Formats: sequence, structure tokens, C-alpha cells
Amino acid sequence: MKSINDRSRNIGSFVSQLDDTIIICRCEEITKGEIRQAIHDGMFTVNEIRRYLRAGMGLCQGQTCGKLVKYLIARELGVIPDQLDPATSRSPMRPVEMKVLGNEEVTHV
Amino acid sequence: MSKHSDVIIIGGGIIGNATAYYLAKKGVSVTVLEASKDIGIGGSSRNGGGVRQSGRDTRELPLAMWGIKNLWPGLSEELGVDVEYTQKGNLRLGKTEAHQKILQGLTDKAVACGLDVRMINGDEIRAINPYLSDEVTCASWCPTDGHANPLTATLGYYKKARELGVRFITEAPCFELRKIKGAIRQVVTPDAIYEADKVLVAAGFDSRKILATVGIDVPMMPLKMECLVTEAEPPMFLQMLGTADADFYGHQSKHGSFVFGGSSGFEHLNKDNGTPISSSIGASCTCRGIIKYFPALVDAKIVRAWAGWLDDCADHVPVISPVEEVPGLYIACAFSGHGFGIAPAVGYNVAEMIADGHSTIDLSALRYDRFKPKQ
Amino acid sequence: MKRYDLIVVGAGPAGLSAAIEAARCGMKVAVFDENAKPGGQLFKQIHKFFGSKEHQAKIRGYKIGETLLAEADEAGVEVFLNATVAGIYLDKEVLVQIGEAMTHFKADTIIISTGAAENMVTFDGWTLPGVIGAGAAQTMMNLHGIKPGQRVLMLGSGNVGLVVSFQLMQAGCEVVALVDAAPRIGGYGVHAAKIARCGVPFYLSHTITKADGTDCVTGVTIAEFDEHFAPIPGTQKHFDVDTICLAVGLSPMSQLLKMAGCTMVDDPKRGGQVPLVSENGETSIPGLFAAGDVSGIEEASSAMIGGRMSGLAAAAYLGFLSESDKEKRLADLEVALNSLHQGMFAPGSKGKTVAKTDEGIAVSQSLLKKGYLEDTDLERFVHRSNQTDKNSGIHPVIECTQNIPCNPCQDACTKGCIKVGKTITALPQIDDASSCTGCGMCIAACSGQAIFLVDEDYAPGFASITLPYEFLPLPQKGEQGTALSRSGQPLGIAEIIDVRNAKAFDHTPLVTIKVPAGQAMTARFYQPTTQAMEQ
Repeated sequence: MKSINDRSRNIGSFVSQLDDTIIICRCEEITKGEIRQAIHDGMFTVNEIRRYLRAGMGLCQGQTCGKLVKYLIARELGVIPDQLDPATSRSPMRPVEMKVLGNEEVTHV
Repeated sequence: MSKHSDVIIIGGGIIGNATAYYLAKKGVSVTVLEASKDIGIGGSSRNGGGVRQSGRDTRELPLAMWGIKNLWPGLSEELGVDVEYTQKGNLRLGKTEAHQKILQGLTDKAVACGLDVRMINGDEIRAINPYLSDEVTCASWCPTDGHANPLTATLGYYKKARELGVRFITEAPCFELRKIKGAIRQVVTPDAIYEADKVLVAAGFDSRKILATVGIDVPMMPLKMECLVTEAEPPMFLQMLGTADADFYGHQSKHGSFVFGGSSGFEHLNKDNGTPISSSIGASCTCRGIIKYFPALVDAKIVRAWAGWLDDCADHVPVISPVEEVPGLYIACAFSGHGFGIAPAVGYNVAEMIADGHSTIDLSALRYDRFKPKQ
Repeated sequence: MKRYDLIVVGAGPAGLSAAIEAARCGMKVAVFDENAKPGGQLFKQIHKFFGSKEHQAKIRGYKIGETLLAEADEAGVEVFLNATVAGIYLDKEVLVQIGEAMTHFKADTIIISTGAAENMVTFDGWTLPGVIGAGAAQTMMNLHGIKPGQRVLMLGSGNVGLVVSFQLMQAGCEVVALVDAAPRIGGYGVHAAKIARCGVPFYLSHTITKADGTDCVTGVTIAEFDEHFAPIPGTQKHFDVDTICLAVGLSPMSQLLKMAGCTMVDDPKRGGQVPLVSENGETSIPGLFAAGDVSGIEEASSAMIGGRMSGLAAAAYLGFLSESDKEKRLADLEVALNSLHQGMFAPGSKGKTVAKTDEGIAVSQSLLKKGYLEDTDLERFVHRSNQTDKNSGIHPVIECTQNIPCNPCQDACTKGCIKVGKTITALPQIDDASSCTGCGMCIAACSGQAIFLVDEDYAPGFASITLPYEFLPLPQKGEQGTALSRSGQPLGIAEIIDVRNAKAFDHTPLVTIKVPAGQAMTARFYQPTTQAMEQ
């Protein structure tokens, strides 16, 4: 079993840091401190941080902060970043108005 | 690391997490085994967030009503996580006489169970939600329904259960259940064999193949459904919405984004590549459906779409049940796409069922052995 | 349903190259790009590319873009612009936003060449307006003709940081410093030297601790840090700047491949999450390929070769190219790609410290730490046996001291003075037997601007130095300014004795300065008097 899969592993208690107020996810204005606290709440994956805090759920869909969040988790858990998966990729790749997305030419499925 | 606990729960979704939390509160030691890398990655985080009683089968309605009365209002405080519970009513919308008939039938049954739900006309509908188009002519209205955030509710139960000492292991898919001397005892995963006196299978549609290893079947099939989310919009309305035609359902979240589910008409025939991949037509269909009801949302931008499998039961009602044939085994699955709203109540009552042998709400109508062949 | 033999997502160097090869094999090809202009990053690249003569070296990036577009057009490739691929679905289907509508397309093969996005780093104030990516700065300057700011600090000393710093200066910005967390300059030494001789200081093992400003950037503080990445007290330095440029690497935009269900790997050497691919770019899904930065961050030259390889592989997959022809053509491209993957900056050498060149010469530590060669370094790199022979008249001095894949200088000299040989990463050698005419073609051909023509005997007591000068306004003959050393230090008065701007130089004007004979091997840049006075 990989150590990140044991959600009860001891990662120490949350200690606030000087730069916890820095914004990591610009779209949703989520700070480094909020993300670090979430990791200590048990959110050990990028997907879980995303769902718990909305980091990476804004207009850019994590294009900017995805890697930053991943490195924060890795550092807090003491693992190498490649052990962590990025968030799920979802369509549409760019935000698109409902009237446009609904305006499709379909000949057959 | 001990591989033994009082109870093993298979499935780290909201049902598993909630049950784990309520069991831990009773002092029971619990291990939750989640097959994937993420907690709450299945239907728990892939739903429209409805917390409603209206439109439900009468067999599960008591659970829904009890949960809304006793658990949802205080849940954010209890878990220490904002689950964004909003109790501002549910509108189930109709446009045609056929729709009216469907809605009337559901309403009559719910009223018989003591639920405050009634039919309203177009003017009454637009008094509640002025953004609805004139095409909408009838609706059922249940003022005590509402919605919540499935993501924070699922992870909130996880967080709180973890704080109470519940062990969560991810990437631990259950290959096999094993009985020892006639009673359930072991859960086999690739990395370890875990042992417990009691085992709850709450693994969505995967429950079927897990239960098969001890000769139990729940007649259900995975059904892929799709949802989409808009960017944050100014606050417009607080009701949970659905339609008689099932074109779409959803609500505006506290954050401002709209979360909508919908259908293209091909859900029962959807295919996939082993992951719940979106279809090429689903999101577009849902957009067209929504625009007909909410012309004001034409310019709202969709930021993402997703798909998820629901565990669609033969009678579209969950199985929540002890399995007497396999002593120590319990089932909570086959929620058929409407498990989120009743999840706290299910977790609470299943915890009672496992720890105390009986539950506050009578769940006998949801037993696993209710499925009978044609006579 | 609209159908093609091949759909390419992304009309950058890799995507266009793939589409051209496939279309030339007879395939019906559609290319989708979300931008209004094709070419990806190519049209922002106003500098001359490195590489081999056969593969577009010494050609400026935007010219390569123009060539690719013409070739795509000729081959019958349909390029859809302002066409955003919303998603990729089962059965090789893509949904594309074109204008105000969505259109479904299917193909039997798909090549994803969506490129990469810029990484960000966080520090106090990183979200202030004025903190921009280096690529964004390039877009502003080179596509839209807008100066990103007046005074700029660049974070990141890889080739992107170095090239964009130089371009910022070309655009008239002042680059106050180049900062990198690494202890060594990451990019080519020749790129660093171009900046250093303009007087830009390098701060290595430093990072940004704070960007000042309330509504926009007004300043920046940097500091040296210790092994725990904590700033060392007392090392802080402050600069008044209005722009902070971040050149801290790229991440593959591989979301479409992940969405399609390709097996993905996290490979820090390739920039992050990339698909598992064969040498031809085929992913775990048959018929689905990845080419260019999306399958691993490199540069445009290898992206073009990789694109061509995946285009040929797609053609062979659908029977438009015989297996034997495929093997033959891929083999040629592999040789070219391998040649780009040699030398000190090869993808496999990332992060490694190279002590000696392939020729066994100790590399210049000054070049790695400060961005310029010390006078003593040059003695080791004797490209010419009698380089210090004062009686030999005009001759090239080549300050190319790292093994990088580049050889246009070899062919630039019609007299055969310069030899690189078969290994294109070898350091160029000067052939004594051949005589230099001072034509200057080697200077203009050197993408690293590392060749100078020196005549120690220009006039009694004076030497002449001919150097590349890609700045405006061009100095005038007879004008007097300041000669600058390799580190940008003023050495004394320099007089402009010649300015040449032949078409063959491709926008690299050659300026010849007259300096005291003693500065023949130290003066390497010219600063006009007006500019010196402004500072």
C-alpha cells in the first residue's frame, strides 16, 4: 500500500506559515493556507482539494494552479509530486455559452 | 498496522462516509476501503445536489422526510464543513397535459404519506421563480425540499469520520468477500486482507460484483448520466428544480454556478471506455433543455461537464438491508440516482442497523430479497 | 457527420508539420486551432533558430511559420482557425466550437498537438497586474507591438527567459536583472552572453520574495536562499520595476489526451503529465497520436520533426504509406531528431552538471554563473591555432563554448574557414589554411550571436571588431559611443567605422567598431552615447 493511501497517516499538525495568505487559485481566490489546512483535514489528492475548496474549478479549470496545488500536497505529505494525479480533465476545454454549446449540428449519433 | 476493525465499509462515497461517521460516534471501530484514489469520486460527487422528498417512491420517502427534519438543518455545524444546505423548495416543472398527469400522480402519493406538496399553475410558478419561461404551465411545489453541495457534504463526512478515528484506505478495491465458519469475516484487496465482524457493501454499482463473491445479487445496472456547471452567475433563485419530462434538473449553488443534469435520450444505451467519459451530445442536449425553461441563461458559460454512473436498480429504489443469509453482511446500494438527499438519513439508520440491530426508520421495504420473478 | 482521415488539434509547429506530411501522403486532413492565427508560438519567435542547416537553423521562427503555412496550403490541408475543440470523445470524435455553433467531426486518426502552457510561481504579490509570463510578454511585443513595461525583472534563466530578456531589450525595455533559483544558468551560454554584454546582472540561487504595489507592480525584492529554500537575511535586493516576467517552465496541455483515455505518465523531465507514447507519438489508443510539447516539453525544431514523424505514422496506420516507406522516412527523421538531442542540453542531461565539453575542455564556470566568458576562459577554447597571432589580419573569433546542436556557421563561410563536422554539437573550429575575407556571413548566420570578426591591425594602436547589432536605432558611421566588455562594463570610447545591413544577413546588422588594440579580445558590444547618458 502506498503511504498516501493510508488516510490516517500522521502528517503532523497544521502549523500556520507566513505566506499562507498567498492566493494559489486565482479564479476562485483560494489561499495557500486554506489548501494546507484542507490537506490536514484529510484531502490528500488534487481532486479532493478541488472538490473541498473549489481550487481549480473556476474559469481556467486549474490550468494555472493545478501544478501548484499538486506541489503543495506533495510537500505537506512528504511525497514526490509524481505520485499524485492531476485533476480529471473535462470538456469543454474552454468556457462556452449555453446558447453556443446547445447550438450543434447533429445528423445522427 | 492492524487489519482488524469492528466494521469494514466497502466504498468511500457519501453513504459509506456517513455510515462510518455515525458508527464512530457510537464508539464502533471502522475501516473504509475505497477502490479508487479519491474519496467520493463516484456518484457522490456526480449528482445535482437535490435534497428533496417530492417525486420519491413511497418506500424511501420516510427516510427522506426524516433526514430533512432531523439531520440536514444542523449538518454543516455538526461536520464543521459548509454543506451549503438550502431549504427553499422544489419545483418539478411541466409544460403539457401529459406532464401534468405525471406530476399529479406523484403529488397524490406523497400527500398520502403526509408530505406538504401541491400542484401549482403558471402564475404561481413564476411568482416563486420569475426566470421560468411561459412554456412552463404546471408544477408540483414542495416548500420543504432543497439542495446542498454534494462535494463538501461527502468530504465533510469523510473529514469528520477521519477525525473520530475511522481508517480510510484508498486504492483498495475489494476483490472478494470471504466467510469464516459461515459468517462474513474477510475483505480481500490487492494489498491486504482486512478482517471485521461486520461488513457493509456501499460501493455503488460495483457492489453487485462484490456481493456476488458471497452469492448475493442485487439486480442493478450502471447507468451513465451527465451534468454540467456554469461559471458563477449573480444570485437568481434558490429552489431545486426538476421536470416531469426529465430534460434537466439542478439548482444554483451558493457559489453562484448552476449545476444541471440532463439527458439526451440515450442514457440506457450509453457506452464508455472504462471511465465515465462524457458523450459528445449530452452537454449540448442539456443546454437546449435548460434554455427552453430559462431563457435568461443563454449567455451563461459552461465551464465543465461530467458524467457519472448511477446504480440503477430493477425498481429504481435502493437496497438498504442486512443479509441474513450471510451473517454480518449489510448492503446499502442501488440508489438509482437519488441517493444524495437521503444519504445522511441512510448513514444514520444503517449505523443503527449495524450497531444496534434495529433502526429509527423502518427500512423493511428496501430489503435485498424483495425482487421476485414473474409468477 | 463530417469525416476526415486525420484530425489535428493545434496548428503549431508540430501540428502543421504532421498535417503536411499526412496530406502529402494523400490523406484528407483537418487542423483545428483556437487562435485567430495559425503557427502556435512560431510567429512570436523573431530570433534565429538553432539546429542543422537541413532543419531550418538560422531561420527566424516566424519565417518558419510562413513556410509551414504555405506548405500546408499546397498539400491541401484544411486549417480551421478560431476553432476551439471542446472535447474528444469515444470513436475518435471531436466537438468543435466554430463561431456560434458546435460541429461534430470524426476521423480515423487524430493527432493532438496542443502545446504547452506557462508555469507560474507564487510569491507575495504574484497576482498583481504586471506579473506576466514570458510567453505573454513575447505575444505582446512580437505579435501586437506593445511594450509589456518599461523596467522588467526576469525570473528564469532557461532559454525562454534568456531569449525573451533579449527581445525585451530589443523592444526598448530595460531588463534590470535575471533571477533564477538554480545555482547555474539553465539556457544556452550564448543566449546569456548576449544579455550579459548589455550589462544585465544575473542573480542565481535567488528567488523573488515580494512584488510591491497595490494596484500594479511598482517594485520587486529578491533574495538568495539557503538549502531549505528560506531567504538568507541580508541578501535582499530591491528593484524598481513595473513588470515581472516569469519564465519558469512549461507544462504540457495534455488534457484532451487524458480525456480521451490515453495512458498518462507524470514525467518531470518532460514537464508534467504526458501521454505514454511510442517514438512516433502513438498513444495507448491505436490511431491517436501526440506530437510536440504536449508529449514532452522541448523546442520548436524537435516539435516539427516529431510532428512529421507522427504524420507519417498516421498515414501508414491508414495505409496511405507503405510500411517500408514509413520505416525509411522515419529513420531519416530519427537521425535528425537524435542530432538535436545531443550535447550538454540534451533532454536526458537536464539537471546534470557538465564539467567538460565533448572535446575535453573545461566549461566556463563564469558563463554558467554570470552569463559571460572570463578573458581567461577564452584561451582554452582555441578555435584557431593562432587566434592570438597578431599578424594575421581580419579573422573570426568564435565564442561558442558549449556543445549545442547547431551548425549554420560551417556553411556560412564560403571560404571554408569554419568547420563543425558531422556531429552538429561539436564546437566550431577555424581552419588556418583558409583565409577570411571579412564578409561577415558567419556573424549573421550564428543564431547565438557568438561570432565576431576581429582585426588587431586595423590601424596603428587600434583594432576593429565587427559584431552583430540587432537594436534600433542603428548607429551611424563616424558616431562615437562606448565599447562594452563581455560583462557589459564600459571599456572606453568606440568609434563606428562601418555598418552593414545586407539582405543576406536577414535583419542582423553588422556594426564594426574601432577600439584601442588592447581591447581587441575584450570589447564585445557597443553602447550609443545617448543611451549611456540616459542611464
